[in-house]
Amino acid sequence: MITLRPKTQARAALLSRQGSLGGTVATTGLVVVVGIAVMLLFGQQYAGSVIILAFTYAIVTAGMAVQIGFSQQIAFSQAVFMGLGAYGVALLNAHTGMSSLLAAPVVTVGSGLVALLLGSVVTRVSGLALAVATIMLPLLATGYVSSANYLGGSVGMPLTSNLWSGATPGATVVGDGIVTVAVLGIVVFAATRILSSDIGLELYVLGVDERTAAAMGVPTARRKLELFVLGSMFAGLGGAVYAGTQLFVPATLVSPTAELSLLMMLFVGGRRSILGAIVGALAIQYVSGASSWVSNNILVVEGVLITVVLLVDPEGLAGIAATLTARVRGRPAGRGVVADAVVAAEPGVPAEATAPAAGRQASDFGRTWADRAGGEDRPGAPLLECAGIDKDYGGLQVLDKVTLALPPRGIFGLCGPNGAGKSTLLGVIGGSISASGGQVLLGGADVTRMAPQQRFHLGVSRTFQAVHLIHGRSVLDNVAVSCLGAHRPGIAAGIVRSRLAEARGKAAEALDYLGMGGLSGQEVSGLTLESQRMVEFARAIAAKPRLLLLDEPTSGLSEPQRDRLKDVLRTVGEMTCVLLVEHDLTLVAQISQKIYVLATGGLVFEGTPDEFRQSEVVNSLLVGL
Amino acid sequence: MKLGNLLIAGLVTGSIYAVFAVCVAVWYRVSNILNLAVGDFAMTGALGVDYLYRVRGWPLPLSIVGTLAVVAVFGYVYDQVVLRLAQDGRRRQEGIVITFFFTFALSFFIDGVAKILFGTDVHAAPALWNGNSLTVAGNLHIERAGVLVLGCAVVSGVMFALYIRYTLSGKAMEASGENNLGARIVGIDTRRYRRIIFVITAVLAAIFGIVESPITGFTYISGATISVTGFIAAAYGGFRSPGRALLAGLVIGIAEALLGGYVSAEYADTLLYAILAALVLARPRALGFESAIGA
Repeated sequence: MITLRPKTQARAALLSRQGSLGGTVATTGLVVVVGIAVMLLFGQQYAGSVIILAFTYAIVTAGMAVQIGFSQQIAFSQAVFMGLGAYGVALLNAHTGMSSLLAAPVVTVGSGLVALLLGSVVTRVSGLALAVATIMLPLLATGYVSSANYLGGSVGMPLTSNLWSGATPGATVVGDGIVTVAVLGIVVFAATRILSSDIGLELYVLGVDERTAAAMGVPTARRKLELFVLGSMFAGLGGAVYAGTQLFVPATLVSPTAELSLLMMLFVGGRRSILGAIVGALAIQYVSGASSWVSNNILVVEGVLITVVLLVDPEGLAGIAATLTARVRGRPAGRGVVADAVVAAEPGVPAEATAPAAGRQASDFGRTWADRAGGEDRPGAPLLECAGIDKDYGGLQVLDKVTLALPPRGIFGLCGPNGAGKSTLLGVIGGSISASGGQVLLGGADVTRMAPQQRFHLGVSRTFQAVHLIHGRSVLDNVAVSCLGAHRPGIAAGIVRSRLAEARGKAAEALDYLGMGGLSGQEVSGLTLESQRMVEFARAIAAKPRLLLLDEPTSGLSEPQRDRLKDVLRTVGEMTCVLLVEHDLTLVAQISQKIYVLATGGLVFEGTPDEFRQSEVVNSLLVGL
Repeated sequence: MKLGNLLIAGLVTGSIYAVFAVCVAVWYRVSNILNLAVGDFAMTGALGVDYLYRVRGWPLPLSIVGTLAVVAVFGYVYDQVVLRLAQDGRRRQEGIVITFFFTFALSFFIDGVAKILFGTDVHAAPALWNGNSLTVAGNLHIERAGVLVLGCAVVSGVMFALYIRYTLSGKAMEASGENNLGARIVGIDTRRYRRIIFVITAVLAAIFGIVESPITGFTYISGATISVTGFIAAAYGGFRSPGRALLAGLVIGIAEALLGGYVSAEYADTLLYAILAALVLARPRALGFESAIGA
């Protein structure tokens, strides 16, 4: 019943490549070896200069694959930073006599600093606002550069020093080429390392679903700024190489047209693939120089090329290549996994999922969880306290003085008719919605003003009413998102050390605990709704939260599926505090210690399941008697 | 006096922005795709009429009708071939690829074809309303083409705004973009709306290109700049409302003229862009970006 098309599978393989150092070295090695070989063979011919230019653009587009492809946000900033790098080198060259090779790292750091300043303003917005704000950059830069005499105005600025000064002109070109390839190698290494590390997983989630990323503790604002700085530094470096190899910085380098052609290269090659971004740059450059007919009609050719490529696969040439590889190999990686999954997912996953209490090595997970959740220093005190929570949207009062207190363990039902404010209350407790008044205390500490990320690290975890999984990644990676530890290191730390394996280990523990180990390798969009809900549940518990917020976990599940979930919840309730929003009143009454009923924003009932069953208020509100 | 003339100049430039903003906003509202080729349709209109009338020697009305027919047919075919494959296929494309890149590519393609057909020189369609510039209220001057441009902008903006507000099919069009699946479930043919509005805005852009070209002149690459200004003005109109897009376009045009007249002619554009960027960053919600971010 689960049949992944080769394309979907190829995409999963493309996107969740193992985070091994070996893979990164292989990719980098491939780029460097092929690049140097090409330089030595064709360096002195016309093709050589085309290829040097293509590699130069590839330095920029590889950065864009990280910045744009993964964040799924269009920022029209690269051409400007490329110009910053190129003009920077030209200026240093002209005024201090510094060689291009020495100037390159200087301007790269400079680009980073400028990007830090600019990015801290620009990355506060996202989506179309980001696109509109940043499209001003090339427009502004073009206006400025063309009237700035010290930059050569609308003509441009010449240089005197090549990246590499060889004995003969031929040797200089080949030397320039090899330096360019080396720089590209460094960029590819850094970018691939970041993407295959734990940070790469964070960035991926951030790009697909910012709200989930925040709820799972990803420092979203910081990562967005880091992405902007990283992409800008690569662009600055690319600009420096451009200046050092072309010996001329044209004013058009910062124009909107230049920005568009960089984006073209990225999207033709494959927006989320480093190799794809390089191939895209090479393809467009090569095509432009292929024949005089093509170079005369380059606009038509590019227009048709990008339309066709994106129609075939939105992941560009890299996506097409991955699909073809999967076809040729007859889906080797997929087969076993799919077969397993069919066995596991059909009556399935949760058939085993009833087992956590009886679990074998699983008990380890449970014990450490109980230790963590119970390890509070204020015995007898409540874990969560909501004091007089108000929430209004304009004139609409959604929550009205809601006050409740929950102990460190047990299951607590939260019921109420549609629109009563249940999900809003969960949002206020989880941090995704800010309260208009009142206080939220966690273990006695005021968290009312904290972002969801901070609350996650204090032990608040949640599921969503509609399943929010990260499509295109495996079950294991989806769960690993919540196991990325303190999320402290900066993006550059991903180059040095990946904690992805660690996080995947923890995720595997949680999946085993729920008896879902067999699903680990599956791409999540191929799962049944029940399995998807269980994966989200696994993600919520994998970090062993002190407070688990569940928003209608049984909606869309069948009767037997609900029974299985009920058993899992009972076990979990012995270890941690669960606040359960649910419409299935029988289920709530069966497993809750205490039940709260919310109506038009206010608490109208709180009591034991027995009181709940007998309450007239509850009957009139929820049962309609 | 200076102020008056600046205001008039600003209104004329502003209405150029406004029409393209209206075209971008209306189609974004129905399809959730930004039409970044809208300026290229305008260029096609202007250069197409010039080509048929001046080079081929066709009569002017026939040249205009012929050009508009070509634009309409091309728009229809593009929707049927490319957008249908991209959006209506089994794997419906979403996100930044479809929002930006198909129309980027279309813009490149149209420019390339225009270069082959019309060459690289600056041309314009013949003025539709000949004569000296009009004088109003003493000594304020306005060119006749400017009056047409302003008229076109106001008529098209108001027309679309009324269409969406007061007609059933306008509501259906709005629903198509708001929630595509939901609209289809209640029996709205969202693809038809996407196609019709695409063709209408393409033709409208072409008409406007013809009317406007005597003022600015066109080359085969003029389209991109126009699309960008349309995109920006549409952005400040919240991307979805033709009425607000019209207003935003006019205000931006006037601001540009005033900056040029009173602050610095050389840096008017630069200042304008900086102000616009600052506005987006400071007040994204007030400008209506929040609703548009779903793209």
